[in-house]
Amino acid sequence: MSATKTKMMSRRKFLQLSGVLAATTAVTNPCRVLYALTKDAGEKSAAEIREIFSACDMCFNKCGLIAQVENNVVKKLDPNPKSLKSRGMLCARGNAGVKQLYDPDRLKYPLLRKGARGDGKWQRLSWDDALNHAAEQLDRIGKEYTRCGFLFMAGTDMQSTFVHQFAEAYGSYNVISHESNCLLSRNRAFLDTFGVMPTPDVLNCKYVIMPGANRFEALVTPDSMDLMTAKGNKSKLIVLDPRFTKTAALADEWYPIKPGTDMAFFLAVAHVIIKEELYDKAFIKDKTFGFEELREHVKQYTPQWAAKETDIPSKDILRIARELAAAAPAAMIYPGRRSSDYEDSTQIRRSYAIVNALLGNWDQKGGLQVPKKVKPGSLHIEAPFYEDNPDDRVDAGRAQMMFDEEGSFKHTRDAVIEGKPYPIKGWMTYKTNPMQTGANRNKTIEMINTLDFMMTVDIAMSDTAWMADLVLPAPSYLERQDPLSAFLASSTCSGVITRDPVVPAMFESKPVFWIVKELAKRLDLGEFFNFTMDDFRKAQLKKIPEVAKALKEDGVYNITGPSFGIHKGKPFKTRSKRIEFYNTRYKDKGIDPMPVYKQPKTIPENHFRIVVGRNAYVTQSASTNNSLLWELEKENTLWIHPTPANALGIKNAETVSVSSSAGKVTIKARVTKETRPDTVYMDTGFGVLSKNLTNIFGKGACIAEILEDKADKISGNMAMHETFVMVAKT
Amino acid sequence: MTQRKKYVIIVDAAKCIDCKACMVACKVENNVPEGFWRNWINVLGGENGSLRTEFQPSQCMQCDDPSCVAACPVQATYKQDDGLVVIDPEKCIGCGNCVTACPYKARYRNPVKKIADKCDFCEDRLKQGKEPACVVTCPTKTRIFGDLNDPDSRVAQMVKKEKLVRIAAPHINTRPNIYYFEGTRLLDWAVTPMLPGNINMPKEFWKSESSVKEG
Amino acid sequence: MVKKFTIAAITMTFLIVSIGVSMAGEKGNARKGKYLFRKTCRTCHLEGGSAKELSPVSKTQAEWQKVFDNIDQLNCKDEWAKLSEKDNLDIYEHLYGHAFDSPSPAKCK
Repeated sequence: MSATKTKMMSRRKFLQLSGVLAATTAVTNPCRVLYALTKDAGEKSAAEIREIFSACDMCFNKCGLIAQVENNVVKKLDPNPKSLKSRGMLCARGNAGVKQLYDPDRLKYPLLRKGARGDGKWQRLSWDDALNHAAEQLDRIGKEYTRCGFLFMAGTDMQSTFVHQFAEAYGSYNVISHESNCLLSRNRAFLDTFGVMPTPDVLNCKYVIMPGANRFEALVTPDSMDLMTAKGNKSKLIVLDPRFTKTAALADEWYPIKPGTDMAFFLAVAHVIIKEELYDKAFIKDKTFGFEELREHVKQYTPQWAAKETDIPSKDILRIARELAAAAPAAMIYPGRRSSDYEDSTQIRRSYAIVNALLGNWDQKGGLQVPKKVKPGSLHIEAPFYEDNPDDRVDAGRAQMMFDEEGSFKHTRDAVIEGKPYPIKGWMTYKTNPMQTGANRNKTIEMINTLDFMMTVDIAMSDTAWMADLVLPAPSYLERQDPLSAFLASSTCSGVITRDPVVPAMFESKPVFWIVKELAKRLDLGEFFNFTMDDFRKAQLKKIPEVAKALKEDGVYNITGPSFGIHKGKPFKTRSKRIEFYNTRYKDKGIDPMPVYKQPKTIPENHFRIVVGRNAYVTQSASTNNSLLWELEKENTLWIHPTPANALGIKNAETVSVSSSAGKVTIKARVTKETRPDTVYMDTGFGVLSKNLTNIFGKGACIAEILEDKADKISGNMAMHETFVMVAKT
Repeated sequence: MTQRKKYVIIVDAAKCIDCKACMVACKVENNVPEGFWRNWINVLGGENGSLRTEFQPSQCMQCDDPSCVAACPVQATYKQDDGLVVIDPEKCIGCGNCVTACPYKARYRNPVKKIADKCDFCEDRLKQGKEPACVVTCPTKTRIFGDLNDPDSRVAQMVKKEKLVRIAAPHINTRPNIYYFEGTRLLDWAVTPMLPGNINMPKEFWKSESSVKEG
Repeated sequence: MVKKFTIAAITMTFLIVSIGVSMAGEKGNARKGKYLFRKTCRTCHLEGGSAKELSPVSKTQAEWQKVFDNIDQLNCKDEWAKLSEKDNLDIYEHLYGHAFDSPSPAKCK
């Protein structure tokens, strides 16, 4: 179109175009023409703003948003006030989504590696060539190493289900998610106590103990916002964190707890609650299993004992336990999310779950809830069975109770490097960045170097893409049509969100749904993918037709109604059909049936423990190179307390080296009292290898480089807080 | 019968978590160039070994006696009937007088457009019936926006009910229109502005209170 | 007549016992079991199908154990008889292993 023609787009033509966009789906995304924003007299053109619903993808929360689109350009992302889960807000990353869409560093077309892995030399190829090449590799590796010789890793994304479906049709059991670098040990613990992972009703809670979690920086919707609202309603917040985070800053009480001693604290709280009979006797009698065993078990865990372990005064532990119990059932130990910290992280979370159970907050206002969930339908595929496949996943048997569907990144990586129990020679990653998120980056590189073929589907040249053989460009969330996705969120109950393209896909980017379909066709598996996104959505909506209208008009579907008091009389999904203080299945497997405290390892002299965390603007590794967010934090720094800093001769903003048995990095120091003298910290997502992340290349340090890769024994979740580092002036 | 509006913002700084959503939202909404901000978060603590303990959002105060307006040699910036202090991009010559005349450092010289720029409470959004971007996007709803002259508005009622303060600059009172809940501790960050020698400010402009309570 | 019945009863008992014995010794392949379950059982045990909808999470481990201990009492016992012992074991492993109260409850989409 010539320049003169674009200026005055007739309204009819405009609506025609938007009609095309809003076409055939049952869940049509409305393109509301809001109004004409007329400029001052003299300006001839009138720009029309269309408002289009979508769901943010800058983290996992999926906050509802309304995109403001002017002449097919996204100008601004506003919160969707009807998005109950997000309480109608959009955080810094949500607003910065325009710069993920319009990122000058975005991948534009398929790339094939030239030269050695990690050299960053690429040649462009057509989609046809790229897909043919990938299909050849999938076929060859499947024949030479069985279908299980190909590993699939898909991140937290609304299209990941298609990658899983492809893996199933292809015949590989080796499918891992990002979750084993995050929350699986938490899920394990709560599942093994309550039979389900409940959601915390922070909004109505009157007393919240928050170990780690850092909700005012590590935003989780609605918890982060509800925490502030609850504070306004006289709720008390106690933060246990070795760092003085912003959550600690705004809490009623903060204790710089010695890292690795949470369990001591909570066992002592349990001790007080039981000894002083501060529990609801009827609830304990009717709904729990193993109380007498627990009573006996926690006798040894006194507040005085816990004080020595945690560095928290015993009088405070005692007082807090009593205050907590007095506020019950609207009182909780906040379960948190990322639990990838210690080798006994499952047992640590068991102690959180047990105290929650003692408070009787199950299915109560202000407690742990399981709201009614929306259950979309699905399109089932009847995947073939490949007789030559091995019996089980490659990471099986290394953790005591691994989640079969999630696996363990750490154990898988070890298995691939060892080549045992059988070789893995191919790897496909989608929307996940293990080069930054998997502890011990050098091991990830070692793993990649054992592979015949690695392909990555991503939006930008992340470090994982940088190491791959074939890189395929995906569209950002604002360019995608996704299936429906149901979510659960405490007192806001649950709901459904979806996405329709706000703008057409840019460059040659293609959604992973299309990619796996094309691969399937080339592998004679087309029959398992002979449906469109519309077909899939229709199948999802079959059981929940009321959802379509809400999605079209409001951009989000919310179930409303009480989120508590809805499980009366129902048995728990546990062996005893009750809440289990004592887990007999653990006992059968030789695992401690109740959490037994083990002291964290002593920090060797001249070393520090390094811990992992977040802030509210650079969070996932995709956010650090985003131009808008990068402006807020151009590089990460190492938090170190003034006392050891002085002893090491380190001044603020000086470059230091940080080293562990896993690796070594250099980084600027941030000398601050906001961390314990024995603990150091750095933000994630910097120190990249990828030269195509032009804002941050050469800046800061990669924490994955120095984190050692221990694992939680029970779930196989990564354990990232067990690393001791040395820090020195450079 | 159109009553003059008086747009104000009330800030409950105790709710601010320094997530910087408002800063990014503003930047996108108003095309603020890299390196500059129309709004910001003041932080109490974090220096000299003290721990950070309060986060206080701020932006242009849309003052009633704006020293920036007085400092402009070409009347490019002026206060409207709705209370907003705006900049006419056609008239502004980019001299920068207004930038140094502001006690709140709310203005900057836009290097791309080469004119002065500052928060205007998202005037374009107001015309669409929407509240400013910073107000709407905030996770904890720290800012409350409204027309003080509308007795039914939330801000008018809060001004009556709550104990509110304003940040005043040393020696002068520009009569700012951003109100803070009384507990905020960051009260002394405004500066004595540099005013060009040839301007005339009203007598009441020259005061020496460090904070002004609204009863 | 009585003789026939007795033989049948003995055969049944033997079948049950042998299944019980083999379940105690060998371990089934849950993934094969998933495939077999979908191929043979789900054709009927599907929503809108001729039998009750079933997936691993439809029952607790104890309930699945009971089902497998009493296959001769199922309506579809003839279908079961067509399967080999290994198949039987595999299906058991899939259903029991991903039951309602198992460590890895199935997330059937």
